Order: sequence, then C-alpha cells, then structure tokens
Amino acid sequence: MKRGLITWDRAELPAAAFAARLSALDQLCADFDVPAIVAYSDVCRSNDVRYISNFMPYWNRALTIVPRGEKPILLCALSPRVYPWIQSVTIHETILPSPNLPARLAKLCEERGWSKVGMIDLAGLPYDLYTQLVTGNLTFVDIPRGAFRPAATDAEIAMHRHGAQLARSLLEAELTRSAIGLTDHELTGRIERRLRRAGAEDVVVLISDGRSAPLPARGTKVNENSSASVALEYNGHWVKLSRNTDNVTSTLPPREASQQVHRELLSGRYAWEGLTARDNSKNVITSIQVMIERGENRLYYGDSGVQGPDGWQLL
Amino acid sequence: MLNRDRQQQFVALMAERGWDLLVFYADAWRKDQFRCLVNVSFQGPQAVAILSRTGEVRAIVTHPWDLEPVAAAVNGKTVLAVQLTDGLDELLSKERAAVVAINGLEHMEARYVQVVHDALRVTPVSATLDVEEIRRVKTPQEIAWVKQAAELADRGYEQFVKVCQPGMTEFELVAEVEAFVKANGAEDNFMLVASGGTEVTGMKPPTQRKFKPGDSVTTELTPQVNGYYAQICRTLVIGEPTPKQQQAYAIFSAAQQAAQDLLRPGVDISDVARVQNDVFRKHGFGEYTGPQYTRVRGHNLGLYPDEFPHVLENVHYIVKPDMVVIAHPNTYLPLSGYMVFGDTLLVTRTGCESLNKTEKKLFHS
Repeated sequence: MKRGLITWDRAELPAAAFAARLSALDQLCADFDVPAIVAYSDVCRSNDVRYISNFMPYWNRALTIVPRGEKPILLCALSPRVYPWIQSVTIHETILPSPNLPARLAKLCEERGWSKVGMIDLAGLPYDLYTQLVTGNLTFVDIPRGAFRPAATDAEIAMHRHGAQLARSLLEAELTRSAIGLTDHELTGRIERRLRRAGAEDVVVLISDGRSAPLPARGTKVNENSSASVALEYNGHWVKLSRNTDNVTSTLPPREASQQVHRELLSGRYAWEGLTARDNSKNVITSIQVMIERGENRLYYGDSGVQGPDGWQLL
Repeated sequence: MLNRDRQQQFVALMAERGWDLLVFYADAWRKDQFRCLVNVSFQGPQAVAILSRTGEVRAIVTHPWDLEPVAAAVNGKTVLAVQLTDGLDELLSKERAAVVAINGLEHMEARYVQVVHDALRVTPVSATLDVEEIRRVKTPQEIAWVKQAAELADRGYEQFVKVCQPGMTEFELVAEVEAFVKANGAEDNFMLVASGGTEVTGMKPPTQRKFKPGDSVTTELTPQVNGYYAQICRTLVIGEPTPKQQQAYAIFSAAQQAAQDLLRPGVDISDVARVQNDVFRKHGFGEYTGPQYTRVRGHNLGLYPDEFPHVLENVHYIVKPDMVVIAHPNTYLPLSGYMVFGDTLLVTRTGCESLNKTEKKLFHS
C-alpha cells in the first residue's frame, strides 16, 4: 500500500488542469454516445484515475464515474471516515460508500436513468467486476485508453521531471564508492529515507551486486560492480532510474546494439509496464534501462524521459 | 524459491478437485497469489505460475529482471513476455487441459481470462478460496519468517518511539520508520498512521500534519520478511497522557487481552471479535465497535497483510493451529479519538503465543 505523502499541490497542478481533462471527457462522452464514463483503479493501477481526479486508491479498489457535464463521482470501499482526507487531496466532492462496486454502480445508473455507460479499457477490468458488470442490465461501451489519455501535458511532464531530479540527485549522492561495503538493505534504507522525507509518494529500490539483475535487497554487500534502480512516484507521477557505484554510463537511448535494453511505459495502466510500438505514437513517459556487460559483471544505467514520434528526451 | 510444502498441497488439491492445471495469477498489488507457490518478489506488472498434476511448475514473467530469479525458483520453463497475453498463449496453447483453475481469477484482467479460455477452449474456474484455505495454516518455514517479521516490527516500533517528536510531520515519521525496517531486512512494509486528538476518527496514509504536545500518534506497522508480514499496533502520546487517554487505553488493553486469552484451535473467530467488543460494551462504548467507527477486530496474516478471515462478529471460521492472527480492537472512542493496540498471535496447539515482545502500554514521549 501507499505510505508516502499523497497530496495535491494546486500550484503544480491547478484545478483548471482537471477542468480541461473533464471537458475532454465530456467530448469523449459525446463521441461514444454515452452519458458517463467510468474508470477502474486499484493500488497498482491508479494512473488513469489520478489523471481524472487525483484520487489514489491507496488500499483498495474504486470506480470513478464522470457524468457528462458534472464533476466525477467516486465509488469506493474505503471507510467514510477517510472521505474528508480523500476530498482534501482530490477534486471529488461526492463519494459514495460502495462495499459492492458493481451493485453501487448499477444503482447509480438506475437512479440517473442510464442504460449504457462508457468504461475505460473494459477488458482490463478484474474478472470478478467484469463478469458482474457485463452480465447485468447495463451496456458498457469500451473506451480505449488511447482515446482517453492524450499526449502528456507540460504540467504532467513537470511532475515527472521533479521526480526524476529527486531520484537522480539522490542516487548520485548515495551510490558512490563510499557505499561499497554497505549491505543492500542498508543502502535501500538510506535511499528510502531521503526520498520519502523529500515527499515521495512511493519508492521501489532494487540492487544488483553485479552478478544479477537489480533485485529487492537480499543481504548482499554493495561492491564496485553494484547498481541501484529506483522507481519513484511523485504526486502520482512515476520515474525510474538506475546508477552504479563505478559511475559507468550509457547514451540514452543506447547506440550500441550489443547492450541489453528494457523500455517501459510509466504513464500506462500500471506503474510501469513494457513499452509497445503503439505507445510511441504520442508523447508518453518512459524509462530506458541499459545493462552494460563488464567482464563477468553487469552494470545498470537508466533514466526516464518523454518518448514521442520524434524520439526520446531526458526528463 | 519454490514453496515445496505448498507445491505438494496444491497438487493434492488438484487431484481432489479434478483440476488438470492450476494457474497462479498475480499483479503488483496481489503478489501473494503467485508467491504462495513461487516465493519471488517479481517486479513486472504481472507474473503467472502454472502447476501441472505431476507437480511441474512453469512460469511467465513480464519484466526481464524477473527472469533469472523466477527461473531459478521453479526449475522449469520460464517465459519472458512483456505482454502477458503472449506468454499465456505460448505456454497454454499446446496444453490439453479439460479443467483449469486459477488462483487469483477474480483479480485477473478479463482479457487474460479470455486468452486462457481461447488457448484451452475451457472456461477456467476459481481456485482462490481453496488456495486461501491452505495458506491460512502456516508451514514451519513460514512461521519462522513471520517470527522474523514480528521481531522487526518490535524494533521498528522502538524506532518509531525514538524519533517521533513535536514539529515532525506524519510523512517524515513514516520515512524514518520505513528506512529503519528496510535497512534491517524488511522487504516491504504496510503502515498506516494518524495523529491528533478526539477529532481523529481513523487512519490513512501520512500527511504533512505536524505533531503537537498532547497528540495521540497511532500506527499499524507491518514489516514483510521473505514475503511474510507481521504487525504491531500501538499508540504513543506526545507528552503526558491525559486521564481520558489512559482510560481509553485500559479498555483497548483489556479487549486485546480478552482476544489473546480466547484464541486457540476450535474457537470460532466471531467469538474472538465478540470478547473484544464485550469489553467496550461493558464500559458503555458498544456503539464504537460497529462499522461507523472501526473496520475489523483483527485479521489473518501471511503473504498478504490483510488475509481472511477478518475478526468480526458476523464472520464464522473455526481457528486452526499454526494460523497467524492479529487481534486489534482499533477504533474511535470519544475519550481519546482513534486508538490502536494489537499484537501478532501464533495459534498453538493449546492457545496462542504473542510474537511481539514490545511492552503492552500506552507509550509517551
């Protein structure tokens, strides 16, 4: 679950930005001839709902409904005792207690007289929700994610960039030769402490001792061939970077075909997922992680950037 | 590593149920549904293990960094498929399974269930409840890991008390404790906090609120070691506790002790909830044991920090030896605001053993 700082900084993401997104969703409602669009979210799939309302389902599932011309409605199974907090960090004013999400959605649609609604990425719903929803009386129109999320805006890119700068400066300070001799647990703790105190919402640290890919700490010692990978979420916006103790770098994207490269989408359904060719058609936030072979060892170097039709630019 | 005890149990379950294949599907939220067989903390968005009736295990990973550790654990075919649909299709399209069951079916994206259906030409059934029932009773190795996690929870709470001070924000406190448990071997940590007075009605992720003298600072601290969680719940008052805070603590302490005194094999878990709630009723606070003020009176622990059964008066489940349960009568009281108190309990043959060694008291700084 999330245990970092979940907040809404109105200076970096003004209410007007959400108003523009809702306006675009209104247009999608018109395009798909539906009175409302629904988006699913859970702990590891929060990017889409974060985009709509800044809601982060830190410990559960939720459905966000955007009726045409209205502010979004949140259906969630979290206790009403946390609703004031949710309202303080999102644009949600209406939150409906929903221990049974499909039943509550059906009731809402009945109250509104809706017989069909749009669902973002219908086939991506968890199977239990999917079967309950599609076997009910409502008709669901699939709204492809490609239609829903346009190219990243300047405000989104700025938050990804802030996260990247935090992680970059931290790794450059912590992952030096002075880290050699620490256990990977100790290095993980140091990185987490500084990033979480700097306001990270979530942090995932993986360490390689040169003989493996970056993995969760397992008690090995940091050495001259060690690398650390940090995935950091800042106000709902992910970045991923890797550095190594010997400061070996690579051009990004790498020019040498022999280097093993993994590219990930950081603004997709999950926090990160493998990048496909179709994701390159517009500006999306991605990471490139490169494995550099050095003798029998592997070092890792990577960073995050904006991937578009014209190439990749470092954040 | 492959959990060989579970592998044998799951193969026996397949024979009993007539399943030809048992698929373990997990995403980044519910890794436990994969790790109950293949105990690797994968980093991709999903991972899948496929168990055959002969005990053979194959796996699909969706991130290249998962390939080596998962392949080493399963000692069988492991496929890297950045798009899970491709991996499912590759491993299942040549199978001839009449009955396929999926652990985590409910959580699986509908598109992946469709791929399984198309590859095997059968509609998969859910194995989730059967697998959960097996998982509830811990193996000796799993108990050893839970004990390590409980020991770390105690040390983590010691750090919590040490660093918590007026002027510090909630998220800074969590950062300090998180760093401590990670530096000392935790793989992950589930943690909720709250701070303040009688206006506080529940816990949530940490905020920028700064601690003040007189605050109750509550936490559920839940480190994970080798995949297994243990939890401790304690309340700390900044400064000297007021008589009302002490009065509230006495009720929570008595309720938790009542649960610990009752918990043993053969007891209905609903009674473990009832004896806690009865303490509140005896003191005239029965209304604060309902869903308006609290969630559960405890829950099972293991690879997931909030396993079933939940400890509630309307949940009936007969307790078995080697279950690991936290009893925590956490709720709101008008005396104190939201307060928490609980220990991780291992069910023994004749009773239960508290795995937490932290002193049972209302802490203050």
